[in-house]
Amino acid sequence: MAKRVVIVGGGAAGMQTALELKARGIEPVIVERDIELGGKARGWHKLFPSFTPASDVMRPIADRIKAERVRCFYGQEVTAIAPDGVMLRSGERIPSDAVVVATGFTLFDAHRKQEYGYGLYDNVITSVDLERMMNSGKVLLTDGTEPRRIAILHCVGSRDEKVCQKHCSKVCCITGVKQAIELKEIFPTADVFNFYMDIRMFGPGYEELYREAQQRYNVHFVRGRISEAAETINKRIQIKAEDTLTGRPLKMTVDMLVLLVGMSANYENETLAATAGLSLAPNGYYRAQDSFLGAVRSEREGIFFAGAATAPKSLADTLAEASLTASAVDEYLRAKFNEK
Amino acid sequence: MENMTFFAPFTIPFIVGGVAMFVVIAAKWLLWLVRLPRVDRRLIRHNFFTRQTLLAVWEVFRESLLHVRIFRVNPVLGFMHMSLAFGWFLLIVVGWIETVAYLGWVWVPLQGHVFFKYFMPVNGIEGHIQLFEHLMDALLLLVLMGVALAWFKRLRSKMMGMRRTTKHVLFDRIALSALWFIFPARLVAESLTAAIYGGGGFLTGSIGGVLRDIVPSDMLSLAYEPAWWFYSAALGVFFAAMPFSRYMHILTEIPLIFLRRWSVRPTAERKSYDRFEVEACSRCGICIDPCQLQEDLGINDTQSVYFLRDRRYNMLSLKVANNCLMCGRCEQQCPVGINLATLRLNSRAKRRNIPHEGRYKYLRGVDRSSGSGRVGYFAGCMTSLTPGVQRSMEQIFAAVGEEVWYADKEGGVCCGRPLMLSGETDAARKMVAYNTDLFRRHNIELLVTSCPICLRVFRENYRLDGIEVLHHTEYIDRLIAEGRLHLKADGRTFTYHDPCELGRGCGVYDEPRRVIASVGELREPKHSRRDALCCGASLANTIIDDGQQQRIAKRMTTELEATACDTIVTACPLCNKAISRAAAHPAEDIAEVVAKNIVR
Amino acid sequence: MRNLNFGYGISSPRAINLDNNDLRKSNDIIREMPELQACIGCGSCTASCTAGNITSFNFRKLHTSVRRGEYQGAYEELSKCMLCGKCRLVCPRGINTRGLVMLIKRKLGDF
Repeated sequence: MAKRVVIVGGGAAGMQTALELKARGIEPVIVERDIELGGKARGWHKLFPSFTPASDVMRPIADRIKAERVRCFYGQEVTAIAPDGVMLRSGERIPSDAVVVATGFTLFDAHRKQEYGYGLYDNVITSVDLERMMNSGKVLLTDGTEPRRIAILHCVGSRDEKVCQKHCSKVCCITGVKQAIELKEIFPTADVFNFYMDIRMFGPGYEELYREAQQRYNVHFVRGRISEAAETINKRIQIKAEDTLTGRPLKMTVDMLVLLVGMSANYENETLAATAGLSLAPNGYYRAQDSFLGAVRSEREGIFFAGAATAPKSLADTLAEASLTASAVDEYLRAKFNEK
Repeated sequence: MENMTFFAPFTIPFIVGGVAMFVVIAAKWLLWLVRLPRVDRRLIRHNFFTRQTLLAVWEVFRESLLHVRIFRVNPVLGFMHMSLAFGWFLLIVVGWIETVAYLGWVWVPLQGHVFFKYFMPVNGIEGHIQLFEHLMDALLLLVLMGVALAWFKRLRSKMMGMRRTTKHVLFDRIALSALWFIFPARLVAESLTAAIYGGGGFLTGSIGGVLRDIVPSDMLSLAYEPAWWFYSAALGVFFAAMPFSRYMHILTEIPLIFLRRWSVRPTAERKSYDRFEVEACSRCGICIDPCQLQEDLGINDTQSVYFLRDRRYNMLSLKVANNCLMCGRCEQQCPVGINLATLRLNSRAKRRNIPHEGRYKYLRGVDRSSGSGRVGYFAGCMTSLTPGVQRSMEQIFAAVGEEVWYADKEGGVCCGRPLMLSGETDAARKMVAYNTDLFRRHNIELLVTSCPICLRVFRENYRLDGIEVLHHTEYIDRLIAEGRLHLKADGRTFTYHDPCELGRGCGVYDEPRRVIASVGELREPKHSRRDALCCGASLANTIIDDGQQQRIAKRMTTELEATACDTIVTACPLCNKAISRAAAHPAEDIAEVVAKNIVR
Repeated sequence: MRNLNFGYGISSPRAINLDNNDLRKSNDIIREMPELQACIGCGSCTASCTAGNITSFNFRKLHTSVRRGEYQGAYEELSKCMLCGKCRLVCPRGINTRGLVMLIKRKLGDF
């Protein structure tokens, strides 16, 4: 009989791990809180740095999940985790031989930075809202007109102790560059200003894209964090920052303000970790065994991690990690059942 | 008996200590009174022959003897203070009556009253009245109970309903040790007297009887003189140490009560009156428990009792002076009614740089205000970081058709209170002058502000005659009462957090609650109103760091969330930010809740 | 008053000379408030500054200069601050900016 592994979370990490396990002859069971699979990548427009449509990556995975007949529970919340199975909110228990925690992250709630006016001003949106707008093919202001001046603010809910988010969310810088280029593609005559504290371009092709945004697309990069935003009578957004490179306060009015929201640890991590006997890092993410050979292993035998449950990760990193997780699970199960 | 001199060598320590005490205290008080500013002296002259003086006498009786206010905060602690103070007082009074009853109206030196039992043991008295013996014993017992409680408090402060008790300086230790011995020593001395000469009440008489039965009489005689020496020495040491110890409060509270009744108050500048307040602190330690720096952060050297102690002995550090949220939780519990915040502020004022002449010259000619109207709106610096509040106020103004002049929509000038809180009173005056002039020039009649910090300084330090100042909660409450603003039910449950400056600072408790209750169900957290917790973001504290602020906010928010309400509501941008970072869901301002439910 | 254009203007072309600058006071300040070193220069303090909205006053630049041992005019410049506390509320690094203003003034001033 095939060994069974429960995967908590049916986002990119959970789905890909399921496929990798299946390929190794292990039976995966995905428990998803939402009513469908896909997680945060669902509804995303294009992926950095290659502008690959997100659906080009996610659809084949979803198709294979269906073709391989991976068992999935939808709309089910896991309330307790143990190496030999998980408990669902419904009271049902799913027994297993190992568990993979692929619970991902929570998007930072931009309402928490009231000074930027999200939910208060019409044309202040988040990077996620922008992806959805681009997906629907309509990037417009609330009055139906096209934006002519756009500001993109980096680090909203990242590296900000005032909202208890000390960590860097890793993907926002490159997302900001990507979205700036996309906006320039849609509105070639519009001015796009990226407000940043530091630009972190660590991935392959990222720095090149940054340069392209600057030189080819004439995206303006202003080194300074926006401190306040106010709405004018005609629904434009007046922003205040310091242009730290000239050392002078900067004021400007834009039609649209895009907030690059960061990745927060899930609120439920604390209670779930407690049930599983796992611990959390100070930023609220799950603590892996170590950052090297034990990056997908938890502090407890039989419980593994995949994706952004342990730290902010890009989709590429997450998908790569899935096979790592699957091979670690495989190794563990072989040892457990004394197989060669 | 007629030629009694009422002198014995053992009384010398008592006489020396007593005289020293009276000389030092008299000198201190005289000096402080003489140095009072002219304004205060005029106040005293004006109010001397008024009802206030009689009220002061009554208050002295209630507070210096009975300690009614301590009793209210903590009954056990109150009883301890009452039994010591009132018991001792009655011992003196009844002792005096006893002397008069036996000797008639003749002059008896002080030690004659105090050591009456020594000079006139029962066998030397004609027409002995047993009632006095019992009465004096009962009073002694009362005082001894107080002493026992004081011992107990040192050992187990928790048993007294206090988590912490005060740490002491050297003079306190000397005086405290002496005080502990005075009454047990008196018990021993009087019991020995009763054992040898007979007499004594139910207490000393009975102990004397037992001693007579079990101790050989020559041993009793041997212990007799040393026992009285010890009693006298304990009194003498206590008296001599008293003016330099915390027990100075016993007598200093009396002139303080009179001065306060005559309307003398501490001010932003230090003055000799402060000494009366500082030395009237009994260091009871009631201020320690309400302090959140203590409770949440374990900071144990900055509470008001330590601040006053350090200031009194000239060892106040900048850190202690500045490490206070000035939330006012301790001040409202202080049984002596010391103006703790003002004293701390004028301590800060003394510990800073002298500003140069041209400071804030740049304010000249600045006017960023917009609009015009009878009503002025001053959002406050912090409110620009909570634009939801500003926007909601604009919607409310629009709903009631108010013409509004916006003082700081494009950024204004600070109200000055933050400078005051940091001791920069003269710099703050420039802000006060600037804003006063601005308000006057735009001819407003009503000034509405969204920041309780601004509200407080407008009310306390600005002279805005002819301009009424309201916090937006008061303003909204008035609009509803006048029938100008109609709200529909919101359907949510709310918990209101009292901002320190609005509640304890300006006494605004009911208006916000009425407003919230008019749209939804209001729930109260464990600590509310006068007792409400501080959010930790107070501008008054420049010592604690961000992590510490966050810890204070966290505990206070947990208490608010414990009411299981849908939404936490507050009325201060700083509190709003502090709660929002600690809570599961961001807090809302009252203005936002109201603006969402306007019926047009 | 002479040094009021502290840190600005073309009249001060000189380089920051860390070989010559005396960092004792700067180290003193940092010792009392180590979190100052956590500044990432995002400019939020300066952007939100109430005084900076009216006059040229740049807190970020100012405390950075002080950390480099450039003290001249810093005290006078800091006197422009109204201590309103907005900067403390926006600082993403949680730096106690109000306490810092007072600390620098104390260390560089006459008290």
